[in-house]
Amino acid sequence: MTKIIVNATHKGGEGKTTNSIMLAEYSALVKGLKTLIIDMDPQANLSGRYIEMEYDPAYRGGKIPAMHPDFEVGVDSGWDGRSSIANIFYGEEVIPYPTAISNLELLPAHSHKLQEAEAVTKNEVLEKVHLQLKRFLELPDVRNSYDVIIIDTPPSKGPLTIAAIKAASHIVIPAQMEQFSIEGVYGMLQLWKQESYYRTKENQINLIGILPNQVRDIKLHKQFLNGLKMMKGVSDYVMPRVIKKRAIYTEILVEDANPKSIFDLPKNNVARLEYESACEYIMEKVYHG
Amino acid sequence: MAKKKVFQISNALTEGLEETVSAAHNYTGELRVEAIPLRKMELDPENPRDLILTFEDLYNGLDKDDKNYLRKAEEKATLITLSNSIKEQGIINPVLVYKHGDKYRLIAGERRTLASILAGKSEVQAKILDTKPEELKISLLQWMENVERRDLSLWERLKNLEKILSAFAADKGMEFNRVSPTDLGRLLGCSLPHAMNFIAVLNADDKVKALIQSNKLKNLEKAALISTIKSDGIKQNAIDACIAGATLKKLKSISTQDKIQKQTTTQLPAPSTRGRQATLVNLGTTKKIHVVRLIIDSVLGHEKLTHLKKHFTDLNWADYKSINHAFKQLLKTLEQIEAE
Repeated sequence: MTKIIVNATHKGGEGKTTNSIMLAEYSALVKGLKTLIIDMDPQANLSGRYIEMEYDPAYRGGKIPAMHPDFEVGVDSGWDGRSSIANIFYGEEVIPYPTAISNLELLPAHSHKLQEAEAVTKNEVLEKVHLQLKRFLELPDVRNSYDVIIIDTPPSKGPLTIAAIKAASHIVIPAQMEQFSIEGVYGMLQLWKQESYYRTKENQINLIGILPNQVRDIKLHKQFLNGLKMMKGVSDYVMPRVIKKRAIYTEILVEDANPKSIFDLPKNNVARLEYESACEYIMEKVYHG
Repeated sequence: MAKKKVFQISNALTEGLEETVSAAHNYTGELRVEAIPLRKMELDPENPRDLILTFEDLYNGLDKDDKNYLRKAEEKATLITLSNSIKEQGIINPVLVYKHGDKYRLIAGERRTLASILAGKSEVQAKILDTKPEELKISLLQWMENVERRDLSLWERLKNLEKILSAFAADKGMEFNRVSPTDLGRLLGCSLPHAMNFIAVLNADDKVKALIQSNKLKNLEKAALISTIKSDGIKQNAIDACIAGATLKKLKSISTQDKIQKQTTTQLPAPSTRGRQATLVNLGTTKKIHVVRLIIDSVLGHEKLTHLKKHFTDLNWADYKSINHAFKQLLKTLEQIEAE
């Protein structure tokens, strides 16, 4: 059974994208699992890490994926050579891109198309957007191709985030130990609650937990983390792992960074050990509850 | 010295987080409320309510040649008020359905659904269960939905109740007639006397049941009272009186003849002729609070006195002094009523 892990919180800058990258690379590089990473965020940052993204000539500031490496002019008629996850909302074919990391494939974002899906308000269409990703990921072709699917979401509670949650088997909520972030956690827990009401008992959505992220050695962070751990019921969902604020986590995202992945660092590197431990915890939860 | 800074997640946020997690745990898979198309809904053939008006009747209009035309027209008329309010503000409580193939089958909310069709709606809000609930649960849900409803005949309520009881008995591995009034009261969330009435009627003889079915006996309390009369002659008297429209009080006095017949050995003590003539009754004293409580409850249960109940809701039943005071007040009030 393919595991579908969503990183979601509607506040920006919490570490959704970074965490999606780390989890996907851990899954592919360290665990050797066939992994697909999906970029549902119109900002398309995650996509740019793995493939070349071009500025969309038709939509200022928007990005579109570069031509697919398998595309051959003249052979593939009826295909413009680009593919993104947004295609599922337009009834178009979706073709994953290979990445430089073995076992890891990408379904990139398409800014304009995703934004259009996010802006849908009409009820009938909305329901389609909500369920479309789930339907796509339930296709036998997709299920048979991957062990793990990681989804990165936009910082919103809109249709795209809801679509990701509806498709997910597991949710991770990365959060800083700060006021607005905890409020974001609250918002995400609402979505999780709604979804758990909605699903049958056999097919539940599993909240792996809140991953304290960018934690610094300051009183505020410590006391908020402690506060969360003291809350009845909530404490079960505070991951017993913490990601500290470290320069390396952003440095590694730079285009010509070397090494490119945190998991290419020496085995005893503090940052690698820290993220590895968090990913290990998440995967352990995903596979063994 | 500067005050030490303490950072705390606010109480409101803490509460919100805790409540969310707890609610998610407690209602997993149970609370899907959605607007579902009315066209996808169907009636539960086992619903005890037996309205004969169907969805088709409302979509296509009533057929004058239908042999049930009059009854259906009547039923339709009773839905109009509800339908108007649905037009204005939609339904307040969602109906309850479960998935049955690609349709949704109604567990509760037949009238709301019919009225929504009548109001020209295309969807209705519904709580959706994924599978058909167990027999016991479904009967209970329907019961809860119907228990306060006047337009359900006693026979229909009994039929429903029988289903609940047999499901409950099967669930507990006991025999149908072994279910006690206490069990029933707990199951339905009704008072013990009410549950006892139900049990009495369920155990009534065939003759009484036939009268209930033909809607000649309509009132639960009266039917229960009649069911418990042992002597055939008195029972017949009571039945005749009841059909003729006797009050519950009247029936009680008939049924006491039955008790007196049974208890011929217990003689009331002969009134005393010695001493001064008594001009007042001493109500006596007791240490047992439950006795006082029984007396007060019985008095307040009198149909003409229920309005006095409000004076006793705050009474501290652990304190003799306040009970004494309350009892005296009650006596005084009763004397005034008598005087009026």
